[in-house]
Amino acid sequence: MPWSLHALVQAVILGVLTGGVYALMASGQTLIFGIMKVVNLAQAAFVVLAAYLTYSLFTLAGIDPFLSILITTPILFAVGVAIQWTLLRVLRPEDAAELSLLVTFAAALGLEGLLELVYNTTFRSIQPGYENFSWTVLGYQVNMVRFFAFLLSLTMLGLLYLILHRTKFGRAVRATVQNPMSAQLLGVNPQRVAALGFGLGAATAAAAGAIFGLISPFNPGSHYDLISRLLTIVVLGGLGSIGGSIIAALVMGVGSAVVAALASPIWSDFAFFVVLLLVLLLRPRGLFGARVRGAI
Amino acid sequence: MTAAGLLRAVIFFGALTLLPFVFGEQWVLNSLIFTLMYVGLASAWNLLGGYAGYPSLGHAAFFGVGAYAIAIVFENSVGSGYPPFFLLPLIGLATALLSVPIGWVAMRTRADVFAIVTITLLFIAQTLAFNLRAVTGGAQGISVAVPPFPVETYNWPFYYAVLALLALAMGISFYFRRSKIGLSLSAVRADEDKAHGVGVRVTGVKLIAFGASVGLTAMLGGVWAYYVGFIYPQFAVDPLVTIGMVLMAFLGGRATLWGPVIGAFILVPAQQYFAYEFGASHVYLVAYAAIFLIIMLLLPRGILPTISDRLRMRRRRRQGAQAKSHGAIGGAK
Amino acid sequence: MRLLKLCTTMAAALVVAGAASAASPPVKIGISLSLTGDFADPGKAAQRGYQLWAAEINKAGGLLGRQVEIKVVDDASSPDQVVTNYQNLITQDKVDIVFGPFSSLLTIPSARVAKRYGYAFIEPAGGGPKVFQQHLDNLFFVQPAPVVKGGDVFADYILALPADQRPKTAAYAKLDDPFAAPIADYVKGRFEAAGIKTVYDQTYPSESADLTPIVSGIAAANPDVVVSGTQSSDAFAQVKAMIQLKFNPKWLFMSNGANSPTEFPDKVGAKNTEGVFSSSDWYPDSPVAGNKEFIAAYIAMYGGSAADIDSTSAEAYSAGMILEEVAKKTGSIDNATIIKTLHNGAWHTLVGDLSWDADGAPNGEYLLVQWIGGKMLLVYPASVAQHPPIAPKPAWGG
Repeated sequence: MPWSLHALVQAVILGVLTGGVYALMASGQTLIFGIMKVVNLAQAAFVVLAAYLTYSLFTLAGIDPFLSILITTPILFAVGVAIQWTLLRVLRPEDAAELSLLVTFAAALGLEGLLELVYNTTFRSIQPGYENFSWTVLGYQVNMVRFFAFLLSLTMLGLLYLILHRTKFGRAVRATVQNPMSAQLLGVNPQRVAALGFGLGAATAAAAGAIFGLISPFNPGSHYDLISRLLTIVVLGGLGSIGGSIIAALVMGVGSAVVAALASPIWSDFAFFVVLLLVLLLRPRGLFGARVRGAI
Repeated sequence: MTAAGLLRAVIFFGALTLLPFVFGEQWVLNSLIFTLMYVGLASAWNLLGGYAGYPSLGHAAFFGVGAYAIAIVFENSVGSGYPPFFLLPLIGLATALLSVPIGWVAMRTRADVFAIVTITLLFIAQTLAFNLRAVTGGAQGISVAVPPFPVETYNWPFYYAVLALLALAMGISFYFRRSKIGLSLSAVRADEDKAHGVGVRVTGVKLIAFGASVGLTAMLGGVWAYYVGFIYPQFAVDPLVTIGMVLMAFLGGRATLWGPVIGAFILVPAQQYFAYEFGASHVYLVAYAAIFLIIMLLLPRGILPTISDRLRMRRRRRQGAQAKSHGAIGGAK
Repeated sequence: MRLLKLCTTMAAALVVAGAASAASPPVKIGISLSLTGDFADPGKAAQRGYQLWAAEINKAGGLLGRQVEIKVVDDASSPDQVVTNYQNLITQDKVDIVFGPFSSLLTIPSARVAKRYGYAFIEPAGGGPKVFQQHLDNLFFVQPAPVVKGGDVFADYILALPADQRPKTAAYAKLDDPFAAPIADYVKGRFEAAGIKTVYDQTYPSESADLTPIVSGIAAANPDVVVSGTQSSDAFAQVKAMIQLKFNPKWLFMSNGANSPTEFPDKVGAKNTEGVFSSSDWYPDSPVAGNKEFIAAYIAMYGGSAADIDSTSAEAYSAGMILEEVAKKTGSIDNATIIKTLHNGAWHTLVGDLSWDADGAPNGEYLLVQWIGGKMLLVYPASVAQHPPIAPKPAWGG
């Protein structure tokens, strides 16, 4: 295999840029887990939904994908709140442990089916014409869309941080994550926090979806592959730690890009599944995470 | 075993055993083979996800193990056609035994972490099926040789094989309910730490459930591979197969004997019918998801337990009403 | 006396009329297609081809005087369902003939069902190597050659170049799929035997959304020629990755995706198609006899233009043509007759004149096409080429 420093650095650049996007996608899922202790298996489906919405806005109304984020974010927020309100809130607490996983998976399947009905299974991609443009920096190719996507992810993550640490809502969320009972005693409404928190987690998928649609062809079934990566990132980074999931996303992005470029693409995700398995079994909290319900 | 229970079992298995002689159209048997296969799978899943309370979302991995085992051994020849069936018990036993270490490690986690662990196992199994091309044929797939069964009764051996495995699954399910193992499992399901504290042999019992569940699943996978004749990684290790099993067990009622049976008998023919008559399977995913959600929200315990609960309540209400009227008469003395 | 004669005449007339309609019940043809699921688009294209053929032949009086009825059922791209479908079609609906489903994946399990009941299996879409390794004598693949030889004609072209103009190094990027990867492997076999060094040879999984890491690995190896075993969406993804990484090999061959007259320029940008090679069995300007009539009839039934026609429709139509020719030649459409007859001689279709070996593999060659001036043109062999091939490949449009 062509092991050269140039190839390695190029792969690392690709991996970092991609990792940033995965970090954005994973942050929403991490947030949801932190608040509700629910592993949202529909997060990837939210991203695909957002990609389709962005696609339609672009092909029907000519709206640039980066601009359409302003439209898709509130839509995804509403979808998240709706799903939490109708499906998850009504689960009885004793069932919630196993059922929430299955409910979110069923929601993912339902979204996939609906998208299939509307768009059928043809692969789509969003092509505003500039998506292939790359700058040449010191002999390395840096794709413009991915670079802006990376910046966008940083911005959104920064916004998320501000919301969580500087707003009343954010404080309520963090209090609920740390100690639900005390939070409730202090006047925080757990139902509202859960619903809005789920909505916020879903909203992050809007920007992620726009980027996803620009970078690669997608169809309704794309969420399977995506959810396996997200799960790996979220668990490795610590179910509940956003900072941890960002680091895990970057590690995974770089690792898988390097393996795919310099070794064998068919094994590039395998190592992560094995690492994920080991981490789950030895350290169920993940590398940085808080205590996880359901693990010893 | 109650007389009613015995009667139910006799009628059910008797009818199914005699069916090929009475109404043995090939297409009917074909439909039943897939249906009964899912009944067996749902019952097998139930042993782990229902009785033990460990909801596995990765069972399809073991289905694939059994499927590939048969395909690899019988790729080129099946002799008289019966050797693969004879190998099945060995495959089931081997899978059960070899899975014990996996189960032991996996079941140190609980609930949703366990579910994620099993999903990960599924992805690992599927990746191996794709990548170990020399062994599994990879994406090209691998064939199972064609058995020399006569055309008129070609489906019969497969039908009886699946029926036998179903009987085995339900037999084990029945045994779990009636024995100390079942009692221990329900203690584990309710509150594992407490059960452990009280002295229940938690690990042993969990591993028995795990082994039985995956062994049965692997055997059914083996029959499936033999019947379809040519298998690919994405279909032998298919997340939708797991979802199907889980959905059927949920629909009919987890931790019951007949629940998975009812669930499968409702869902499988319905899906086949819709796909064949209306080609409406783009609605298939939405329908699956909708049913899943409806069950979980309205019938969280499944059909069978909900029905038996309602019957019990009605009986109690009737007894209460009778007692009241008797009491009134008596009290009016 | 006259009354009796009248009655007998009437009775005789009734008997004859009855016998005539009893003698021409419709020919029922059963087909399982992927109308939903992963293969839905080509599945629907195949359906259009079959239905067009049925409409045309019924207009011309039917098959041996009998009207043709096509029953299409959906298998949702699932092997379990396809087995069920053919069992139902054959034993429940008791169709007279079956045609094959879409894709090698579904072809093998269903061909076995057909073989069990003695049905001929004319199929337009299952041509991966394993299909022919099943040694099914009832199977006939309606394309010029087994799919694995899709790159054969490209190899012919390259190896026919004078030694100083040939590529020295080659990269092989393959989709992990029964159709795609074997094509590149086959070309690799021929290239290595001729001394072209392999500097990159990797397979990527079929759900890979992002092919830029893989292409960056190819670029790092700096090959003269890139041979890609692809389906459609990954072909487009490869091209886009190459543009982004500013990598332009001297020759680029993509087994699929780049042979779609409308999708390829649409997905990668019209200015980026120049110089890309692919192979095809049918294209709108094909000079094969009957093609113009097919295109006209297609447009009359479905609208659009010739460029919108998917080659899968032409392949499905060709399956019908073969059946028609057997009927004409032997006067029978009994399955045993079909199987015996098709193993001899050549049969005319929209994808060329086909003949098969004992395992159902066709004995012909694909066509080498290249994108020149924004159009897909036949470039090799020279005797049928519309334009000589251009090399090296021009730079990407961006």
